[in-house]
Amino acid sequence: MSKVSKWDELRRSWVIAMNDTRIYYLRPAAIMFGVLFPFTLFLSFTVGRDVPLETLAPLLLAQTVFWASSSIAPVSIPVERRVRTFDRYLSAPLSLVSVLFGKTLAGMLYGLAISTLALLLGIFAFGTTITSVFALILGVGLASLEFSAMGIMFASIPTESPGEVMMPMNFVRIPLLFISGLYIPISQLPAIGQAAAFLSPLTHTLDLIKYGLGGSSYFGTPVNTAMLVLYTLLFIGIGISFHKRIMRTQ
Amino acid sequence: MTYAVEAIGLTKYYGSFLAVDHIGFQVKKGEIFGFLGPNGAGKTTTIRMLTGVSTPTDGTASIMDYDIVKQSVEAKALMGIVPDVSNVYDELSAWDNLVFTGNLYGVPKRRLEDKAEALLKRFDLYDRRSEKVRGFSRGMKRKVCIAMALVNDSEILFLDEPTSGLDVESVREIRQMVRALNEEGLTVFLTTHNLEEANQMCDRIAIMNRGKIAAIDTPERLRQIMHNVQSVEVSFKEAPMNLPEELQQMGAVSSVEKHGDKYRIFTNEPPLVLKEVWDYAEKHGLVPISINTLGPSLEDVFVKLTGREMEEELIRGGRATAQNMSRGEMR
Repeated sequence: MSKVSKWDELRRSWVIAMNDTRIYYLRPAAIMFGVLFPFTLFLSFTVGRDVPLETLAPLLLAQTVFWASSSIAPVSIPVERRVRTFDRYLSAPLSLVSVLFGKTLAGMLYGLAISTLALLLGIFAFGTTITSVFALILGVGLASLEFSAMGIMFASIPTESPGEVMMPMNFVRIPLLFISGLYIPISQLPAIGQAAAFLSPLTHTLDLIKYGLGGSSYFGTPVNTAMLVLYTLLFIGIGISFHKRIMRTQ
Repeated sequence: MTYAVEAIGLTKYYGSFLAVDHIGFQVKKGEIFGFLGPNGAGKTTTIRMLTGVSTPTDGTASIMDYDIVKQSVEAKALMGIVPDVSNVYDELSAWDNLVFTGNLYGVPKRRLEDKAEALLKRFDLYDRRSEKVRGFSRGMKRKVCIAMALVNDSEILFLDEPTSGLDVESVREIRQMVRALNEEGLTVFLTTHNLEEANQMCDRIAIMNRGKIAAIDTPERLRQIMHNVQSVEVSFKEAPMNLPEELQQMGAVSSVEKHGDKYRIFTNEPPLVLKEVWDYAEKHGLVPISINTLGPSLEDVFVKLTGREMEEELIRGGRATAQNMSRGEMR
């Protein structure tokens, strides 16, 4: 028997991600929370308000990457638990970390795809220009990975119903919209609000994207990047630990 | 010696509930090993630990000498798994289900295509390879599930209740397939609560009850150890009302049961009882319709070891399977 290398495991993670793209991307829950929700929220908070045109694209882009990336694992993992296809991954020759990495990749690719649409909309509808490709790629890329990992973390709730993952997750996702500088600039928040904003991963996503699309950064690219990396590692770590716990207890 | 499967002190707790209690056994290469027991005995929990889906609370298990926890990737590469519910992707075609599984096991593209084609032909599904599995019958989904478990050239096939909830024709087909695969050298680990299935298919059987292994042996040897459940079955043209009590008085009779118009006399010395029954019939002018001696059945062994009636288990098992099926198909 040939040894299974890390490269082999990585390829198998990709197989899982590709399978998820075929099966879960068009599920009603994924479309509702990953596509309709961010666009509807964006329209609700911008239409009829005196919002400068150049600030619209970063708002839309940050929201879409946030909602879309975090909406695949909470749909796919509980459904796969229910129909027992998740057991296929656990009994296949790859580690739990590789299984969860495959699932994270699926969410990340969904986030990248939807946010690319949002970017194109920003460029063609709002006349947005990209001033720092590096900051934009860093912002969207890291955020899609981070929020997908957040979805994995919430999907470790031992349930077979996507609704039971989405509900507690939305208790976290919706408040983040109001403390992350999307609709109220961070500079206008009270001191406690600014502290909360600093701790929100969405703040740093928006900050990086703003910088990439011609705006100014509030915290600076190094701080934004460090916070996004930190949250990514935290979500991945907690997600793996909780899924291992499920394997021990169930 | 390298065993296909070896478990040492394997234990699983669910909270404070002890589901599997320090069990140990070995499965030799090339054998069909049956894991028999009532619902809730711990069979599925054991198979989930052996296949890496659930982590044991204590003890170890190995597949071809690869520890299932410490060398899980190597161990899992050698096995194919058919769980109690056909966990196929309904959204994919039969072909795509096999290709996906092959890719997950790292089977090279050309070999995977040849293997998928051969398996679908063998399981009589090749003509419907492009159809989504959603429209398949339970029996067909089961066959897709077994084909998926074989696409990686597995050396050990784990089958958890493979024929539960299937029609007679599908059951017969699947049993034939499993036997044929075993003849080709595949080791089979089969859990079932169907005694006849275990009796017909298995080289050795472990009987599990309340998380413990009550006995492990060949079906025939398990029957032989149950001397005291040998019986003489007798039926008379006109039997007196007090016949059971009269039969109970005879030497070497342990108990008497009435089954319709027959009386089953349990003993460890059937010839002696046979003679006494014959003498009794002659003395009282009774006309025998039939007299048979019966060896212990596997069901007798099971009832003795688990203290449960198999019929009751099968009814419960049927209900559980129906519930699992409807849950598995609900999307």
